[in-house]
Amino acid sequence: MSVKYISVQWNSNKWKYNAIMLASVFTYLWIFIFVTPDIMSNEGRINGQVHNARAFGSCAFLMLSVILCIGPLARLDKRFLPLLYNRRHFGVMTMFVGITHAGYILNWYFAFSPSNKYEALLFSNTSYGQLSGFPFEVFGILALFCLTILAATSHDFWLKFLTPRIWKRIHYLIYAAYISVVAHVSLGILQDQQNHAFTVLFIVSALVVAVLHLLAAIHERKHGDPFPNNSDNWVEVCDVSELREGFAKITQLTQKERVAVFMHEGKLSAISNACAHQNGPLGEGKIIRCLVTCPWHGFQYDVTNGSSPAPFTEKVPTYNLKLEGSSVLVDRNANAPGTFVEPLVLQTTGAAT
Amino acid sequence: MNEAQALFFAFQIWCSIGAIIALIFLTIGIDRIDEDAQGAYVFRILLVPAILLIWPLVLWRWFILETKRDAWPNRHSPPRHAHFWVAIIFALAIPSIIVMGLVVRQTWPVNFEPQKLSLLEVQIQ
Amino acid sequence: MSEKKAPFFVGYMGVPKALKSFLLKVSLLLFAGFTAGAVLAGASQDDPGQAGFRFDYGRQTLTGVLEANPYPLLYVTQGNDRVKAGHTMMLSGQGKTPIMANLAALEGNEVEISGVILKRGELDMLQVAGGKKGIKDLSKEGTIPASEPLGKWKLQGEICDGKCLAGAMNPGRGLAHKACANLCLLADIPPVFVSSQPVEGKEFLLVADPDGGPFPREMYNYVGQFLELETEIERRGDLLVLRIDPDKIKAIE
Repeated sequence: MSVKYISVQWNSNKWKYNAIMLASVFTYLWIFIFVTPDIMSNEGRINGQVHNARAFGSCAFLMLSVILCIGPLARLDKRFLPLLYNRRHFGVMTMFVGITHAGYILNWYFAFSPSNKYEALLFSNTSYGQLSGFPFEVFGILALFCLTILAATSHDFWLKFLTPRIWKRIHYLIYAAYISVVAHVSLGILQDQQNHAFTVLFIVSALVVAVLHLLAAIHERKHGDPFPNNSDNWVEVCDVSELREGFAKITQLTQKERVAVFMHEGKLSAISNACAHQNGPLGEGKIIRCLVTCPWHGFQYDVTNGSSPAPFTEKVPTYNLKLEGSSVLVDRNANAPGTFVEPLVLQTTGAAT
Repeated sequence: MNEAQALFFAFQIWCSIGAIIALIFLTIGIDRIDEDAQGAYVFRILLVPAILLIWPLVLWRWFILETKRDAWPNRHSPPRHAHFWVAIIFALAIPSIIVMGLVVRQTWPVNFEPQKLSLLEVQIQ
Repeated sequence: MSEKKAPFFVGYMGVPKALKSFLLKVSLLLFAGFTAGAVLAGASQDDPGQAGFRFDYGRQTLTGVLEANPYPLLYVTQGNDRVKAGHTMMLSGQGKTPIMANLAALEGNEVEISGVILKRGELDMLQVAGGKKGIKDLSKEGTIPASEPLGKWKLQGEICDGKCLAGAMNPGRGLAHKACANLCLLADIPPVFVSSQPVEGKEFLLVADPDGGPFPREMYNYVGQFLELETEIERRGDLLVLRIDPDKIKAIE
């Protein structure tokens, strides 16, 4: 949680996360670059620059595949949520690995020429009218642009400045980036490789990413938050009996707006489901030490007024609640973020307002 | 070649404009629209690459915040609904592209023997 | 609901006990996946074959008659231990620097050329040294050997840039290398057709346009693809040259 953007707020879990990620990446690069040349029984030796470009390129592809698996895995099984916690560092690292790949290519294939190498990259192959021999480099450029924009806007400042909604829309670029990378590989090295080990690795990784997204999308459709189809001011959320101490029930009010109704100390309060930080699903979190805690990055809010405890300044909208019989109803008109709402006391007899 | 030069030149111009905007935004603008940034300077360097790339968006958001047009409901309405279709299209695009790549993939004609055509013509005559 | 009892991870707090072994397994799986991936992808790369700059030969100086059409060629008249007289040597500039402008005026003259040789099997090329050391005009008119027509042929194979193919880059052919090959061709580097099997004993043929001029830019689309073509072939010195016909060329299915 940021009070001031003074420094990255590290904690032991972030260190561990980064250590595991970096160990995996460095091991990959080390084995690929320094160990495999001696394992190969090739007659000729692949140029160092091409070898390194392949090491970094394939590594970036694997990293991106892993990153893209985290989201759907966490949707399908909450135990994967910790992998989401520091995913942005993973993403930034991927961009650097991708740029190194591009650097080796640019300084090898497009060097040694009187032309500017960046221009040469664009004009050397212009066979845009065919698939076989298509200038697949443009897909690499596109992917790298997307990854750079994502990495460059990964600081929390951008979330607050752009609003989580615009930030999320920008970060949909990850899908464009991955599709571009798949096209980059499919029309590039896949066309040439005679040994199919990498082809298999590539296809399996990409299909795992595709299938997980499909499963998560179907799961979300089946088990997603209910969307009551009425236009009344008061929207039914659930039956009182469905609520559990410390947890919430979520209901969609519009396509974009969701409310989370929490039970805390036997009383009900409703706040926006969208965390002020990254719009994480607060209703899928739980109340820890009297504070609603976001399952994504642990931002916390007082359930009665939607405000983060001092010194933090984040606020989310609150909602008014009422009971009709044993049904919990929420007023679809949100209160401004930080507005206190008296928690709804449950009476043993049932009906109350 | 001219197109390549033009594209590269346009990119340089784009980033140069971004650099000027980064300078102004990070020295004047940011303190005006984000109180969390006041007194924090080192992190501003981290913001430069993004401003170079998406400076029109930076200008637009700066204008919105400066003129107090920022509506709070927008901050709590994530585009989750779109995600379903994005995920479906994404999941379908990946195998389609791979299949396309495999379909156009060629096999080296290792067994093809060069044929002398003019000799055949002579023989036919 | 069992989910209510599920462990809840908060980044800045300790990892819940119930999640520890799960996360450890995931971490190990990630690490193992990257390790296995590196071995799999790294060790399975295709063999680019024996080719490269022959710096071990030292600088080679050859005398011969220069021809600049379609590409810079030297008909060697005085060879050495490595390159025999009668050989047709393809020439290139340094890196991807064009040299045609320097050579065109010397067409048909006897010249002394020095540089470093690139070699892949029977395919070779001389990268001409820069400056005055590279080309010396002997101010004597030479005789370009008459070209010997070998008739019309149907071939299958691939058009590459002769320099990368001869070992300037390893690997130096294929579609992943196409942009690099095109950039070479733009720099007057002779394009070479790799035939599926030898034609008149030659696996590599120099590519010219139908009029015997340089390989046309609009046919760069075919570079790196596996092609079938019908073409006139001629012998110049010990080099085979094919005249590519835009109407008689197609990519193999």
